[in-house]
Amino acid sequence: MTTSSEPYVLNIGPQHPSTHGVFRLRVAMDGETIVDMDMIVGYLHRSMEKLAEERTYTQNIPFTDRADYLAAMSGNLGLCLAVERLAGVEVPERADYLRVIFAELQRIASHAMANGTLVSDAGAWQTPLLYMFREREKILDLFEMTCGARLTTNYMRIGGVAFEPPPEFWPALRELVDELPDRIDEYAELLTDNEIFLARTRGVGVISAEDAINGSLTGPALRGSGVPWDLRKAEPYAVYDRLDFEIPVGRRGDVYDRFMVRLEETKQSTRLIRQAMAEIPEGPHKTQIPLALRPEPGEVYGRVESPRGELGYYLVSDGSPAPYRFHIRAPSLINLSLLRALAIGSPLPDAVVTLGSIDIVVGEIDR
Amino acid sequence: MESIGIIVAFWALAVTTVGAALGVLVSRNLLHAIFFLITSFLGMAGLFITLSADFIAAAQVLIYAGAISVLLVFAMMLTPLASRDNANSLYLAPGALAGLGLAAIVGFVAVDTPWAELAGSTLAERSFPDTVRTIGAQLIGRYVLAFELASVLLLFALIGAVVLVHDRAAERGAAAAAEEAGTGPREEAT
Amino acid sequence: MTTAPASPPRRPEAPPALATPMARQIREAPTLRGMLTRAPAPVKVAGALAGLLFFAANAAIGYLVIDGRLDGHWYDFRDLGVAVGELRVWLDDRGLGPWLSYWVTALIGAVGILSFVGGVLLIGTWIERRLLAKFQIRRGPNRVGPFGLLQPLADAIKLVQKEVLIPRGADRILFYLPPVLVFIPAMLAWGPVPWAPTMSYLDINVGLVYVIAISSLSVLAIFIAGWSSNNHYALLGAMRTVAMMISYEIPVSISLLSVALFTGSLKLSAIVGWQSDHTMWLGLIMPFALFTFFFSSTAEINRTPNDIAEAESEIVAGFHTEYSGMKAGLFLAVELGNALLIGALAATFFLGGYTFFGLEQWIPPYLILAVKISAVYFLFVWLRGTLPRFRLDQLMGYAWKFLIPLSIAFMGVSAVEASILARVDLPGLLLIVLVVNAALTVVFVRLWARVVGYEAPRDEVTMPALTTSVGGLRAAQRLRGGAS
Repeated sequence: MTTSSEPYVLNIGPQHPSTHGVFRLRVAMDGETIVDMDMIVGYLHRSMEKLAEERTYTQNIPFTDRADYLAAMSGNLGLCLAVERLAGVEVPERADYLRVIFAELQRIASHAMANGTLVSDAGAWQTPLLYMFREREKILDLFEMTCGARLTTNYMRIGGVAFEPPPEFWPALRELVDELPDRIDEYAELLTDNEIFLARTRGVGVISAEDAINGSLTGPALRGSGVPWDLRKAEPYAVYDRLDFEIPVGRRGDVYDRFMVRLEETKQSTRLIRQAMAEIPEGPHKTQIPLALRPEPGEVYGRVESPRGELGYYLVSDGSPAPYRFHIRAPSLINLSLLRALAIGSPLPDAVVTLGSIDIVVGEIDR
Repeated sequence: MESIGIIVAFWALAVTTVGAALGVLVSRNLLHAIFFLITSFLGMAGLFITLSADFIAAAQVLIYAGAISVLLVFAMMLTPLASRDNANSLYLAPGALAGLGLAAIVGFVAVDTPWAELAGSTLAERSFPDTVRTIGAQLIGRYVLAFELASVLLLFALIGAVVLVHDRAAERGAAAAAEEAGTGPREEAT
Repeated sequence: MTTAPASPPRRPEAPPALATPMARQIREAPTLRGMLTRAPAPVKVAGALAGLLFFAANAAIGYLVIDGRLDGHWYDFRDLGVAVGELRVWLDDRGLGPWLSYWVTALIGAVGILSFVGGVLLIGTWIERRLLAKFQIRRGPNRVGPFGLLQPLADAIKLVQKEVLIPRGADRILFYLPPVLVFIPAMLAWGPVPWAPTMSYLDINVGLVYVIAISSLSVLAIFIAGWSSNNHYALLGAMRTVAMMISYEIPVSISLLSVALFTGSLKLSAIVGWQSDHTMWLGLIMPFALFTFFFSSTAEINRTPNDIAEAESEIVAGFHTEYSGMKAGLFLAVELGNALLIGALAATFFLGGYTFFGLEQWIPPYLILAVKISAVYFLFVWLRGTLPRFRLDQLMGYAWKFLIPLSIAFMGVSAVEASILARVDLPGLLLIVLVVNAALTVVFVRLWARVVGYEAPRDEVTMPALTTSVGGLRAAQRLRGGAS
């Protein structure tokens, strides 16, 4: 004799206590386990892509800040790379190095947030999150020092970067980079042997390599499943081909592996920043481009490795200063498509932890 | 029953207990009936205290109000038609009959017992320093058979509950799926 | 300049110029220690003199105590029960019957406990938030009043003036009851706790069973809260909470049973007396019982790592979803009060209560008990700040498969040891029991954990592999095949 219950629908509404943004899940649950799931997006749609068709390319850079608001630098970088490829603009070397430094700083900040919220979702009352925020705060201070904003930086320009970092930037960066490896080791030590954390994350949300590739997964989620694919190595942009770093690859593709991959990437980012700081040449920080840049008619797809995965920009130009079509390939949206298959059959806390490990930002899902 | 305090306490508790029991009978919402029952349990515990049976009172609260009420509540949750009217019962006539019969028996015993002999010097002078020790000694000494039988009965009930809920088909299905998939679902986290 | 410094300093010295605004803020934040060290000289001298005076006064009183001049008089501030007892005798002598003295002393005690618990709830909110903030490297409330001390008052006022929302379709009377019903056990259970040799409000012969019985009443209150909210998710949260709480009542009862076996009494003052007579804490003799009691209590009072009830807030908001204003405030206050109550009970049963190997003759015993309660409460907040929470099925499995069998085994061991202690009269027997118990704890716990399957295979805790070549599926398989 078993007690059976009919599935009931739980609405995990647009307002989440855990910080994933305005994102709605409708789960049909049978007791403890999920039997069906519906993801409803669009609560943050701001019609960026349409608005971009009325603005010049430089005026579109702030849109990319607000798409993936936790990785603004990467967003900026992606758009600038795409336009530079389209219009054939040369970027000075100093600007390339600065771009690498800021993109990697952004990666550290974003991974701190992603890992911190993951552990908070597992229930640790924000303590690890706040610890990781120490470094994130210092990075955001550095951003503010350079371009005036902490989150929506709007720093990269077509042909380089917007501003030369002020003189007090470099000692602060040196101090941060010196203490980061110890801090990261501290976080690793706190969490990697924690029994409760292991019980909550190991074997949960397993994505096999085949499933990941079939689902167009990119970023730390893909690398956590064992596939060694990183755009910084596969299609190097900026000066990544001159810098020396490794990409961490997980083993089993569960939540724990994705967490560790992000932690390792933070270490690699520190290494990259240190090399870039050492090798950065003097020079201009951007090339002058006309105010209303008119690229040749054509199309381009430019992509960067943002902290969430492959952030791509598909631009179609018709020769006017504004793009004819401006499309953002948002990694969060594509990565999210796997969630349903993972969640069905697992209990609800596991689904929440899996969602946290895929690391979505609703801004770029909805644009 | 010598002092006014005990008398007041007895009447207050008796009214509570009997009133709550009547509430169980009368209320139409099943959940309200359960909460009235819990109140009558607590009233009973109070009555035990007026008789200086401290351990029994604490055990009454612990077992009845603490555990059996939760059992009743869970049972009500899992019953499909629990939201129906409590007054709708097939058992009205047999219940009334049984109640009257019980009242007759208890009434007869209450009237027939020579209370005056049992009360008075013997009961009033007996002090109750350590009821727990006495109860324990009796349970292990004189009533050991009943004690052991009750424990075995409880063990049977526990095992029976586990057996009843054990879903053999689902376990077989899960085991087969685990073998197929190789790595299988994550091992039971417990 | 080398690409990587040889060895980055573990803690870099203060940089000459504070580079970022945040670093400056951290360095210049006002702290108590900073205020004390930077106080002007006259203030420091005055403080030192006051401290010396305080110690001198204490020494004088200590001398009086050793001399025995205070014992048993109503002005013996170490044991307020003596004063109350003298009051009772005086009232009896007035000839108005035993009722007046009983009621007056009972009222004094009740008012004392209520005001104590109420006051402690106020200051406890502040302590919890500041302490939790310290664990999370932030500051906690520091705006409302000096050091944020008026924050609990501000919270109370805010909660009281909130709109009273009753969900449509909710059972009105049953909706109003739970905040009250959950407060009653939290108050009542403070009764038997002995604060000093004669200072215990309800020193009944069955104190231990009374405590367990009263705490089992709060389960009902939570269920009523969930049911009467007319909210599916609140009901779900309530059911899970009830299941968890009744599961963890059993290890609590069994561990307290071991205590009763050793001390041979259910009376809390007798338990404390046993610990002071044998100059040994029961927590040292029975470490597993102490651990079980402590951990199961976190489940009983819904605190991390077992706060699946309220912090299902990832998903469902738990049984007090629909409660707003002071009703919700009462639930939160009771959670805090329960934490302190468990501190008091753990201190009484396992940590020696108001005794401290003889110190209770010098300083008031209730201060010793207060220190112990604070220590256990600190442990609660520490756990809350550090650990993530268990999933419900992991929690229940832990209770039923691990704690209960082990508790029963240890109770058997305690019964054997207690009977040996009662019959044999060796001077160092208690120490032998302590050592034996410690060894048995380690052995049993490891053994049973392996039986149940809790041994985390260490080789599976792997770090990700680092590679410099990119590839697709075949590269992934090569990597996996090569590594494993």
